[in-house]
Amino acid sequence: MDKKVKKEFDPKIVGFLCNWCTYAAADLAGSSKMEISPALSVVRVMCSSRVDHNLVLTTFFNGADGILIAGCHPGDCHYGEGNYYARRRYALLKKVTESLGLESERLQLTWISASEGNRYAEVVNSFTEKIAKLGPSPINCRSDL
Amino acid sequence: MKAKVGVYVCECGPNIASKVDLDRILETLPALDEYREIELVVKKYGLLCSADGKNYLEEEIKSNGFTHLVLGACSPRDHNKTFIGVCKKTDLNPYLYKIINIREHCAWIIPDKEKATEKAISYLRGGINRVLYQSSLFEKQLDIDPDVVVIGGGIAGIETALSLAGEKRNIYLIEKSGKIGGKSSRFSSLLPRQGKGLALIEEKIEKVSANPFIKVFLESSLESIIGFLGNFEIVVKSKNGNTDIKAGAIVVASGYGLIDPLSSESHSYSESDDVYTSLEIEEMLKEHGKIMTKSGKEPASVALVHCVGREEKGYCSRICCNYMIKIARYLKDQSDAIKVTEFHKGLCMPDKGDQSFHKAMAERGVEFRRIQKITQDGTKISFTGMDGSPGNADFDMVILAPAIVPSEDTDSLAELLEIPVSETGFFQEMHQTTDPVATSIDGIFVVGAAHSPKGITDSIFFAQAAAGRILTHLIPGEKIVPEVKVTEVLEAFCTGCQNCLDVCVYGAISYDESKGVSVVNEVVCRGCGNCFGSCPSGALRTKHFTNPQLYQEVREAIR
Amino acid sequence: MTEDYITMNRSDNVLIIGAGLAGMKAGLLLAHAGKKVYLVESLPLIGGKVIKNEESFPNLECSTCMVAPVQQDVLQNPNIETLTHSAVEKIEGEAGNFRAVIKKSARYVSMTDCIGCGMCFDPCPVSLKNAWEEDLGERKAIYVPCAGALPNVPVIDPDQCLQLNGQQECSACADSCMFGAIKLDDKDETIEVDIGAVIISTGAETFDASKLPELGYGKYPGVYTPFEFERLFASNGPTLGELTIRDSEKTPGKIAIIHCVGRQQVGYCSSVCCMYSLKFAHFIKSKLPDAEIFNIHSDICLPDKNYQKFFNKVKESDTTLIYSPSPEESKVSQNGSGLKVVYTGADGKEQHVEADMVILSGAVIPHPEGSSVATIAGLNLDSYGFFEAGKDDIGSVHTSREGVFVAGSAEGPKDIQSSVIQAESAAGQVMICLGEVNR
Ligand SMILES: Cc1cc2nc3c(=O)[nH]c(=O)nc-3n(C[C@H](O)[C@H](O)[C@H](O)COP(=O)(O)OP(=O)(O)OC[C@H]3O[C@@H](n4cnc5c(N)ncnc54)[C@H](O)[C@@H]3O)c2cc1C
Ligand SMILES: Cc1cc2nc3c(=O)[nH]c(=O)nc-3n(C[C@H](O)[C@H](O)[C@H](O)COP(=O)(O)OP(=O)(O)OC[C@H]3O[C@@H](n4cnc5c(N)ncnc54)[C@H](O)[C@@H]3O)c2cc1C
Ligand code: SF4
Ligand code: SF4
Ligand code: SF4
Ligand code: SF4
Ligand code: FES
Repeated sequence: MDKKVKKEFDPKIVGFLCNWCTYAAADLAGSSKMEISPALSVVRVMCSSRVDHNLVLTTFFNGADGILIAGCHPGDCHYGEGNYYARRRYALLKKVTESLGLESERLQLTWISASEGNRYAEVVNSFTEKIAKLGPSPINCRSDL
Repeated sequence: MKAKVGVYVCECGPNIASKVDLDRILETLPALDEYREIELVVKKYGLLCSADGKNYLEEEIKSNGFTHLVLGACSPRDHNKTFIGVCKKTDLNPYLYKIINIREHCAWIIPDKEKATEKAISYLRGGINRVLYQSSLFEKQLDIDPDVVVIGGGIAGIETALSLAGEKRNIYLIEKSGKIGGKSSRFSSLLPRQGKGLALIEEKIEKVSANPFIKVFLESSLESIIGFLGNFEIVVKSKNGNTDIKAGAIVVASGYGLIDPLSSESHSYSESDDVYTSLEIEEMLKEHGKIMTKSGKEPASVALVHCVGREEKGYCSRICCNYMIKIARYLKDQSDAIKVTEFHKGLCMPDKGDQSFHKAMAERGVEFRRIQKITQDGTKISFTGMDGSPGNADFDMVILAPAIVPSEDTDSLAELLEIPVSETGFFQEMHQTTDPVATSIDGIFVVGAAHSPKGITDSIFFAQAAAGRILTHLIPGEKIVPEVKVTEVLEAFCTGCQNCLDVCVYGAISYDESKGVSVVNEVVCRGCGNCFGSCPSGALRTKHFTNPQLYQEVREAIR
Repeated sequence: MTEDYITMNRSDNVLIIGAGLAGMKAGLLLAHAGKKVYLVESLPLIGGKVIKNEESFPNLECSTCMVAPVQQDVLQNPNIETLTHSAVEKIEGEAGNFRAVIKKSARYVSMTDCIGCGMCFDPCPVSLKNAWEEDLGERKAIYVPCAGALPNVPVIDPDQCLQLNGQQECSACADSCMFGAIKLDDKDETIEVDIGAVIISTGAETFDASKLPELGYGKYPGVYTPFEFERLFASNGPTLGELTIRDSEKTPGKIAIIHCVGRQQVGYCSSVCCMYSLKFAHFIKSKLPDAEIFNIHSDICLPDKNYQKFFNKVKESDTTLIYSPSPEESKVSQNGSGLKVVYTGADGKEQHVEADMVILSGAVIPHPEGSSVATIAGLNLDSYGFFEAGKDDIGSVHTSREGVFVAGSAEGPKDIQSSVIQAESAAGQVMICLGEVNR
């Protein structure tokens, strides 16, 4: 791919945010009027553990260039241990995505607490940049979801 | 019936209107091909959350007879409840509505108006598609049993029972031993600010026997338990048979034990040495009225050794410093001539009256020695001071403060009740700071020293806290309304692998042997969705957050 | 329970003074039981001290994540009337039949019309130190104490606002508000409510370190109080969490944390200072891994099953723990461009460490408004100035006046866990006090 095309490439990123921490951080970033990349679309889930492999893989299969899963810091999960499960599933998913020929950086799991509005902005913006550099996802077998 | 979706975008004053081209939204959405099959009403309004806005919305829902509603406005954290309230005033089921956050997620973070508008349209399309996949959910009301079972008749269990018992609430107090009162009733006296002798404990014990609404089961234990908040069924095993009890809540107050000092490498002694545990001294004084050596003499010098077994257990037992000073006072009260030395590793006296007690005893000649390390062999003690200098001494008597450990039945109770035990071996609370009396099972509470090492005062506070939870949540004659956005099992898909059972920290899932499938208890489930990801067969469905619903949002995100 | 409680005009409402975690928790329980709750808070925001902390010990949980859902639940609960920026002026009557007078200070911004967009701050010409941020940041005359404050509605400081203090005509904020939410002619308002029971949950403060001049607080910019440090560390704080020394861009390389400041003066151990001091050490390590940290302590008080584990973790993280029999008697002085802390060592001799930043872990003391609340509510204080509870009883949240209860750090220094426990206990006692309905 030449440079020009890369520059024009607008990645499509899905952000699965846990309701209790990261979604609140996104709100704080918003009310602090931070500039955040529109490439990421927020999908609110109650807990990062709700994000299962089906959801992630289907999202990739349908052409997402990147997926961000973000929840409460370890120990802070509103439901006790959900984010530990999310972390385990993430480790597995990383392997699966790689075996599909997707760069593993396209999937990112992170912890952002409710007071970390600026970190939310940083994470989203740098993730967008990273995905933009990687270019469009090599898989897109868009089915009707 | 053809779906009729109302879409209302809020100007939020200039907040959204100046950053997102609402008129373009109004033009774009109805013109989209994909909405041919449905009826779409798209309008904008100044401030939907204002009193006028809410009335307007209510009128619009009613007059248009919407089947679904989508709002493009602010964060659900701000106003989801507001608009659910509006829906509830109409025939529209609140779970057929969705708020889309085009303020925090578009207007305020995307400076380019065109881009912000595109993003808002994309989010709204996701929202419209999602509501079409949403289903009505209905709140349920469940009858409850207000009675309470208390396990353990120490001070914590007693206080729980006394705070709760009444005409409309029976308390079943299950005690393992032959009498209630717990460890505290074995002491000689309590701390200075806790009244004379054991009066406070004895009064409470009497109140229990006088209370017609408290039924005490002595020499009894918990045999089995099933059920959930408001509806537990318990079997109590006593000498003369089993009793079935129905209760709405269970309070665990099974207390503590003391570590065996000999299990610590730093301590050794034999039967014949004048070495005692703190509890033995309390009992000796209570029984004989005097603290004496084995040869029947008053000791001339006594060493009080704090923190026995603390390193091994990995926590501070919180109350030892305090009661060791109390024991120093026993000795000084007996005879001012007794030389008392306390070896401690930093005094932990977290209650406001403690320091002055310490000071008073220091003034009466008790020597407090802060040390780094100590080894005790019989009545011989060698230690390392804070400056690293070694020392040793021989005493007539040594009194040890063994670490407080969970009562011996903790593990078996935890297994019966299906509540977790923490790293330290005590019962694990729901949340360290914000929910300390609750456990992971709704309706089961843990109080007193069964929760963590604590004195009588804190044991009582914990007991009252559990009572506070029960008094405000299990009101006789009233019903409880469980969460509706919970997970369900699609039995046809469930293979019975039981993967999901361990995942749920709330113990909401059980396995139905007869059907060979798992069952989610809707009353217990909080709808986190964690189990969902553990099911290899796609047999679980977390209501209002199903995959088809989330896919609708995803699809628009990556369009 | 005596029969007298069940009189015809008994009120079922509850007044809670102080909307920290204790007040909020008690309020939510009572509201759940169907009681009408008046939750009075003197500040313009609810949440109490905990929301000043980025993370809370022992699990280092994000405090906002922990408290914000509670704040939201309180504000959205139909049974709770939250009266911020308000004060209780009178409580008359007796258990079951109190009448309280509450003064709602003019906020100058309508709670119903304002949507919290924050457009009104920039236009305001007046800038001053933000007391909620421990004077480490600035605010305008119209402000919210911090980003994410709840309720998210600004307040105008009438002493500083040019229009309201009469210095100059100004309506810059009102002109910028598209919702007409700003009412410069707003007036204080007094309401009277009937209540059956009262919970005092006014919390506590920390020791005024300037009372120990040898410690250099107020004299050296590098010397901090605990809440100053909490705000300095907070990612929603004045430096967005960047650890720089006051009035400079300098990152500290060596930090001394002095435990037990004021313990001798107040006469009790505050039970939380060791833990928050260790938390600070951990905070600093997490942001400045190369920093040298000295915790100068005497006794180490770790009164919970999970506290020593945290202590061990800090101990292992190459934080230097220095034992001193009397850390509060340390002396802080200028040393070149940095500071020097002289303390008494384990051997009784003077020792010292160099530091760029010194944090004074101050004792927890009664809230300065405590005594006036005690007068208004007719309550006794204990010898330390906290609300007296259970004079002839142990483990009691009953104050010296029947029907009035106390919870949280208003009763004495305590961690969040113990504050919540007392709150739940007080809620239960209120239920009992309000009558037989429930038992
Ligand atoms: C030497 C010493 C001196 C102390 N002095 C003081 C003092 O002066 N002031 C103070 O405040 N604190 C003092 N304490 C602490 C005090 O003992 C505890 O705070 C208090 O006993 C805790 O009460 P509890 O009800 O939680 O537990 P416990 O007193 O241990 O009572 C638990 C009860 O549960 C029963 N039980 C256990 N397992 C089961 C089961 N499976 N089924 C049914 N029943 C069961 C036990 O038989 C017991 O009756 C002292 C502790 C020690 C060791
Ligand atoms: C530096 C520091 C760090 C700490 N860190 C931790 C930690 O990490 N973990 C932990 O468990 N504990 C910690 N604590 C302890 C914790 O802060 C307290 O346990 C907790 O704040 C107590 O809550 P509260 O509701 O009783 O009081 P507060 O949080 O103090 O709330 C009281 C509320 O009442 C209001 N009020 C006061 N007077 C009046 C009045 N007259 N009228 C109306 N309202 C009034 C106040 O404005 C305030 O909002 C720390 C304490 C300190 C000093
Ligand atoms: S994991 Fe799925 S298939 Fe297995 S028991 Fe649970 S619901 Fe059934
Ligand atoms: S959704 Fe969460 S609470 Fe409900 S059954 Fe599944 S894991 Fe348990
Ligand atoms: S007063 Fe007006 S401008 Fe200020 S935050 Fe409220 S709505 Fe916005
Ligand atoms: S009227 Fe007062 S608060 Fe408003 S802008 Fe002017 S000085 Fe600031
Ligand atoms: S609730 Fe945030 S990760 Fe579980």
